[in-house]
Amino acid sequence: MSDVRAQPADLTKWVVTLPPTAFLLFFFLAPALIVVVASFREPGEFGGLAPWPALSLDAFGFLSSDVIYLEIFVRSFFVALLTTLTCIVLAYPLAWLIARSPAKRRDLLVLLVILPFASNFLVRIYAWIMLLGPVGLLYTPFAVIIGMVYVHLPFMILPLYTNLEKHDPALLEAAQDLGANAWTSFWRVTFPLSLPGVFSGSALVFIPVLGMFAVPELLGGTGDILIGNLIKAQFLEDRDWPLGSALSIMLTLAVLALAGAMAWAARRGLHGTEAVT
Amino acid sequence: MKHLTWLLLIVLSAARAEDVLHLYNWNNYISDDTLKRFEAHCHCRVKQDYYSDNEEMLAKLEAGAVGYDVIVPTGNAVESLVRRGALRELDKSQLSHIANLKPEFRNLWFDPGNRYSVPYATTVTLVGYNVDKMQALGLPTDTWALIFEPKYLEKIRGRVTVLNSQRELMAAAMKYLGYSVQEKDAAKWEEAKRVILRAKPYWATFSNSTYIKDLAIGNIWVAHGYSNDMYRAREDAKAAHRPFSIGFTTPREGAVLAVDNFVLHKSGQRPDLAHRFIDFMLEGGNAADVSNLIGAGNANTAATPYIRSEIAAEEGLFPPPQTLARLEMLRDFEPKMRRTLARMWTEIKVR
Repeated sequence: MSDVRAQPADLTKWVVTLPPTAFLLFFFLAPALIVVVASFREPGEFGGLAPWPALSLDAFGFLSSDVIYLEIFVRSFFVALLTTLTCIVLAYPLAWLIARSPAKRRDLLVLLVILPFASNFLVRIYAWIMLLGPVGLLYTPFAVIIGMVYVHLPFMILPLYTNLEKHDPALLEAAQDLGANAWTSFWRVTFPLSLPGVFSGSALVFIPVLGMFAVPELLGGTGDILIGNLIKAQFLEDRDWPLGSALSIMLTLAVLALAGAMAWAARRGLHGTEAVT
Repeated sequence: MKHLTWLLLIVLSAARAEDVLHLYNWNNYISDDTLKRFEAHCHCRVKQDYYSDNEEMLAKLEAGAVGYDVIVPTGNAVESLVRRGALRELDKSQLSHIANLKPEFRNLWFDPGNRYSVPYATTVTLVGYNVDKMQALGLPTDTWALIFEPKYLEKIRGRVTVLNSQRELMAAAMKYLGYSVQEKDAAKWEEAKRVILRAKPYWATFSNSTYIKDLAIGNIWVAHGYSNDMYRAREDAKAAHRPFSIGFTTPREGAVLAVDNFVLHKSGQRPDLAHRFIDFMLEGGNAADVSNLIGAGNANTAATPYIRSEIAAEEGLFPPPQTLARLEMLRDFEPKMRRTLARMWTEIKVR
């Protein structure tokens, strides 16, 4: 009997998961495989790829023969890390304030956070050109960080807010009753509980920053090149698809490794807090 | 009967509406006025799509975009399209005004005999500058030394931008060193790389478009860029009544020339309209519009009388013969050389 009943449930599961699975297959896995294959091929005479059977490890060999590409990777990860940390520092108080404000004002405040999306991303970056130019900060690494933080801040605020909003005020009251001051109850109660929000916000900021090429191109100076710029240059200006594909794969692998490490750390972190309570 | 007339009218107008020329063009590269006149002339509509660089256009065609009757690629992209067999041969009998082309822009290397392409507009990659600042600082404006020599750059540190383009910037350095921009010897390109790395600390940034505004506002004083952009910066500064003016000069060592051409894409449905369009654009008055609109150089002799005198007389836009002889067009390199140059460019960016 139980088998018979399980079948429709399986079917429903299938029907429900089919669209997202198909989406991921077509729009993530297939393109990713195309990029993997492209990285083992040779550049065509006028760009694109050389006709088939030409397969080689040239692109990877070229990348590993030179420390310069590693340098760009390291630099990009540093910029992404700095952007993420700045976003956390800026977004946390704001998200906390929104979550603590009266319920009817919250929607308005959240709306204000996402309001900048109403205008085009490039237009907003151009606005920064006009703001930073007169004060002499334009075309500096600092300008790149400002641009990156500005663009990605809402992606940190929103997950943090969603998390902080759900906290039960009773927990803080309990902490107070047990003799914790505001500072202690924040660090011992609010912050550990908000870690999932911090992690998902960090993922939403860190990963796009790694691939971003427009901000360094428009706000950065002569030395501000990140992996995103390098990959874009291979596909457009240099018309070297295999090299661009190889770079993309290395970036994807690095991000996956990092995301895996973060997920592992997050799980451990959460278990850790559970153990304490 | 009345109904029938209406029906006929509707059917006729529907048939008329199908006369559409699909033009795949650079942004702001043909004036609305010219288009309106052509539409009146051919009783058809022109539908435009835009691109902002040749690679973007080639990539889109490579990805299978079809239905474009006329495209406006630069010389090296024409060569690439011809070699891929993507173009339709021109029928000269339908181009009665083709004799209007300037002799120096006929038979160019990318299309001997103009079998596929009709030159439309030209651009020189040169140096634009803040005239007042250059005079005050006593800097020379007719040489690449202005953007490459530390002794000059010391006076304008952080006030210089160069193009964010491997081909263009490295070509400028090669010209400064007295080499061809088609040089095959990697050692000479290494020299160019060193010239660039020596000058780089003095530059504010690599910029492909923001330099127009930066020059016009006064944020930067010297920019490596395209002649029509410099023209626009000059006009913008004039219109805003800035206390300074913008000038531009082709460096005496020579520079890069870009020639943009009309070509017919094989996938176009209306080669008849495409030919009429190209022939219309070869008429002097129509050919002149692009120069008056954006300050582009012109490949058409008959256009000259229609071009506003302050534009036609500007040597940065219309290189005189002795300058033209020192200009070179960029040709595509083979994949190995491209990778070598790309590697140098990455080093330029990182160091």
